[in-house]
Amino acid sequence: MAKTILAVDDSSSLRQMVAFSLKAAGYNVVEAVDGQDGLDKAKQQTVDLVLTDQNMPKMDGLQLIKTLRTLPGYAKTPILMLTTESSDEMKNKGRAAGANGWLVKPFDPQRLIEVVKKVIG
Amino acid sequence: MTRKKILGSHVKRLLSGVSMHGRRHLTEVETDLVQTELLLEEAIDKLTASFMAVHSAVGARQEAIDRLLDGGTPTPEDRELLASMSGEVGLHVNTAITSMQFQDMTAQLIERTLRRVSGLRDFLGTLSEHGAEIAPETDSEEIVERLGKVSMALAIQSLELRSMLRRSVNQKHLESGDVELF
Repeated sequence: MAKTILAVDDSSSLRQMVAFSLKAAGYNVVEAVDGQDGLDKAKQQTVDLVLTDQNMPKMDGLQLIKTLRTLPGYAKTPILMLTTESSDEMKNKGRAAGANGWLVKPFDPQRLIEVVKKVIG
Repeated sequence: MTRKKILGSHVKRLLSGVSMHGRRHLTEVETDLVQTELLLEEAIDKLTASFMAVHSAVGARQEAIDRLLDGGTPTPEDRELLASMSGEVGLHVNTAITSMQFQDMTAQLIERTLRRVSGLRDFLGTLSEHGAEIAPETDSEEIVERLGKVSMALAIQSLELRSMLRRSVNQKHLESGDVELF
């Protein structure tokens, strides 16, 4: 059965490209438009991986990760940041919040698929 | 210090503060716009190249496709070309997807520029409001006091504006970014 990825980003074009790339590799993709929407969708269905942007309205990526980690069923779910942020300071915050990895935009579709495969198969 | 000198000192401080804060913000506006321009130029170049490459890849196979459509037998070269088509087009599509992410980055840069411009407008509005409260007959002591308050208000506004506008997009090129698994 295909694994499900929750892709959270306030940019619709970015979500489209993430979904296009991951669906081509056989994954199901659920899209969310910001951190709050991502949280709501994560509560509605179990996902195998969360891929989230950082700078979003309503709830940013770090807050989303911290909140997800308190939910039953999401303590161990792999969460990757996909963001324009590249500073060590932000990466350390991401790690401390509970992220399992950090991808800096722009992403290469092939590389994204390789990372996702490595993390969830 | 004489009253005149105190007044002069405050005027100097205010003018210097307005100039410094204004120039600092406008320099950042310039930097963001230059970065936006670089990203847009590179995106267009790369997307054009990708679309041309896809067109070329399909064009190179057209004879083989036409032969198949006419019921002919594909040559070994036809088979090789058609078998490699998906992979070749896929590579160019991947490059295009990486380039198309310029929209996300430039949108963030533009938003940052708009917020800064809006903040600068508020900054000038503060100057105007305080200026409106100074009547022609206001004595110089009161003017000195007001100038001190205006300078302080502008400095705080400028700091608040700068703290709101973290640089989150440092990319000047559309090469794929780093990946780190913790």
